[in-house]
Amino acid sequence: MAMKPEDILRAIAAARGDAICVPTMTTSPAWRTLAPDDLSIGCVGFMGGASALGLGLALAIPKRRVIVFDGDGSLLMQLGSLATIAGARPRNLTHLLFKNGVYHTSGAQDIPGGLSVDFVQMAKGAGYRKAYAVKDFEDFKSRLPSMLTDEGPLFVELHTGLADKTPMTDRGGQPFHQQIENLCQKLSKAG
Amino acid sequence: MPESIPAPLIIDTLRDTFREARGGSMREPLGWILSVPDTHQKTVLAALDKERALRVVTCATEDEANAIAAGLWIGGEPVVLMIQHAGLYASVNTLRGVAMDGRVPTFYMIGLLQRERDRDPKESRHSMVRFAEPLLDTFGVPHARLEGPDDVHLIPEYYRLSRQRRGPAAVLVGLETS
Ligand SMILES: Cc1ncc(C[n+]2csc(CCOP(=O)(O)OP(=O)(O)O)c2C)c(N)n1
Ligand SMILES: [Mg+2]
Repeated sequence: MAMKPEDILRAIAAARGDAICVPTMTTSPAWRTLAPDDLSIGCVGFMGGASALGLGLALAIPKRRVIVFDGDGSLLMQLGSLATIAGARPRNLTHLLFKNGVYHTSGAQDIPGGLSVDFVQMAKGAGYRKAYAVKDFEDFKSRLPSMLTDEGPLFVELHTGLADKTPMTDRGGQPFHQQIENLCQKLSKAG
Repeated sequence: MPESIPAPLIIDTLRDTFREARGGSMREPLGWILSVPDTHQKTVLAALDKERALRVVTCATEDEANAIAAGLWIGGEPVVLMIQHAGLYASVNTLRGVAMDGRVPTFYMIGLLQRERDRDPKESRHSMVRFAEPLLDTFGVPHARLEGPDDVHLIPEYYRLSRQRRGPAAVLVGLETS
């Protein structure tokens, strides 16, 4: 059975330590409640750009882990990012793909190719250091510690069902520029 | 109009701009160049290959370059985007969604390939050249033309301007680098 995105996010929130998290689309509202005041930045207004933003953070702050929570439709929109990320070789970047087979946020239309698209092959082909799929929650929990420490760029395709909330049903949260401001301040305090 | 702008002059200017952004520190990399190769600035890109202090990340799309720039800036790193006019047109949604809505200082050097020497870019025969300045105006992005060696001071000026206004600012490279 497909994993619940909220279960995955809850486990990450408990394990991620001081990692910076970059949610997008349907992981954004859940992440806001699970990790309300920390080093995160939600990307919604520029579909497909979360992994590139995560790459910039990872290159700028090599001592900290950066975890991107990508959407499958979003990744398809900027698929070349896989090669850009692999080429830049960020050792501290973990790219998690929440593969639900649909554009949930815009009304759950099937993505091109639906669930048969194999993003693991694509990430491997692009040159990620490691890429694999996780289909059940027990397996996810046992591999989570290494997802946070394995040398990157690391790509994990997570087979999930639909999140309870989407950025459309659950608006709110801080404006993007405010999130950026908060993150800048927290990072400069942390030194 | 001069014949060209020497690549070493641009690279020295970028180095100075980054050094100033870092408050004089010589830490390496001094700064980052995010590029989707621009024909007009190809000699600069070729020379950058040999520059260890400036790190170049070649991006598959200008959308990525905009978002990577934001991540680098949040992490305290100085960045310049080197793209061409077609790349500006290709990445307008990200310029809006990241640099503008995110209030991210983002400095662009945009090559105006096919810009004719004998006429204003707004009257160019080429749509690629014609629409760049009006597009930037529509989005309220300040811009200036770099059209000779004497104009390189625009690089640090518009870099600083992007920091001051917390948003995009662009220099349009109106002739080939050599
Ligand atoms: C450039 C652009 N085109 C279309 C949209 C409309 N849109 C908003 S969310 C979304 C679907 C996102 O799907 P996915 O990345 O799979 O995330 P999910 O909602 O499934 O978590 C789409 C198509 C958009 N935001 N931007
Ligand atoms: Mg999806």
